[in-house]
Amino acid sequence: MIARLLAVIAAALVLAAPAAAAACTQPRTSLSFLEGQVMCPTCHTTLDMSNSPAARQIEGFIRVKIAKCWTAQRIETALVKNYGKAILAAPPDSGFDILAWWLPIAGVLGGAFILAFGVWRWSRGREGDEPPDAAGPRLDDETERRLDELLAGLD
Amino acid sequence: MSARLKLGAQLLALACVAGLLALLVWKLTHQHDAPKVGSQAPSFTLNRLEGTGKISLASLRGDGIVLNFWASWCGPCKGEAAVLQREWTQYHDRGVIFIGVDYHDLSSDAQRFVAAHRLTFPMLEDGSGSVTTGRYGVSKVPETYVIDRNGTIVAHLAGPITAPAFAAQFRAALKKVA
Repeated sequence: MIARLLAVIAAALVLAAPAAAAACTQPRTSLSFLEGQVMCPTCHTTLDMSNSPAARQIEGFIRVKIAKCWTAQRIETALVKNYGKAILAAPPDSGFDILAWWLPIAGVLGGAFILAFGVWRWSRGREGDEPPDAAGPRLDDETERRLDELLAGLD
Repeated sequence: MSARLKLGAQLLALACVAGLLALLVWKLTHQHDAPKVGSQAPSFTLNRLEGTGKISLASLRGDGIVLNFWASWCGPCKGEAAVLQREWTQYHDRGVIFIGVDYHDLSSDAQRFVAAHRLTFPMLEDGSGSVTTGRYGVSKVPETYVIDRNGTIVAHLAGPITAPAFAAQFRAALKKVA
């Protein structure tokens, strides 16, 4: 009886071993992470914002690969091979696609430079301006003399 | 601001506006609508789903063609698969070639679909959708085009061929190109 029980346990262990080896105890990425990185090809939103059949199919694929301990990079590479680069929410940072990363940065830097230059020019222009004379325009001698006479007449 | 600098800034602004306008024009002129019945079927070359070579539409000139766009995740595609297979067995020795184009799909799932429905006509894969949406303007699968021996589209069925609205139209188009 004991021998039979031991045989059953041994057989179960032998059968379970490959399954245990195939299972991934420490996944290297998560579905929630990849759902934000991968696009639904039919609805053009990320997977986490789509409930279309195509999106669900890709989620299923990702789940299976996560369970096999695939990294996010490896899963994304497999998806790109199947669907093309457009499957990724973010464009690749190599080749011509790198422009998608650098152009916005160049735009912001260029805008900041133009703004700073404009402010600098404006402040320099203000420094060169003559402050207005508090006493007003200078009068010629004759007018000043007549004004003094008039003011003296008022006293 | 000096006159030269001002002119430079104005030219830069004009160049930006011109660039944006060019982008808009490019986008508008590169939108792909579904090709119309009576027009030439857009050409393409795609890999076979099984990964054994390519098929180009031009190489099939001289035969009637049924071009069916489908995907394994598409419910109505399952419904029409049996009908397509039945019509294929009936028409393939009458000069009509059926071509399935699997789009936005996982190759492994698509191959399972083909095996499960015992589809024997040639299957091509268009994972990126460049032909399906780019050249044929397909937005929802299934869609079917029937093309005559000269490459002219004689029918466009934007839905399952099993739908009452399309079933008779599909058969009529098949007879026309056979």
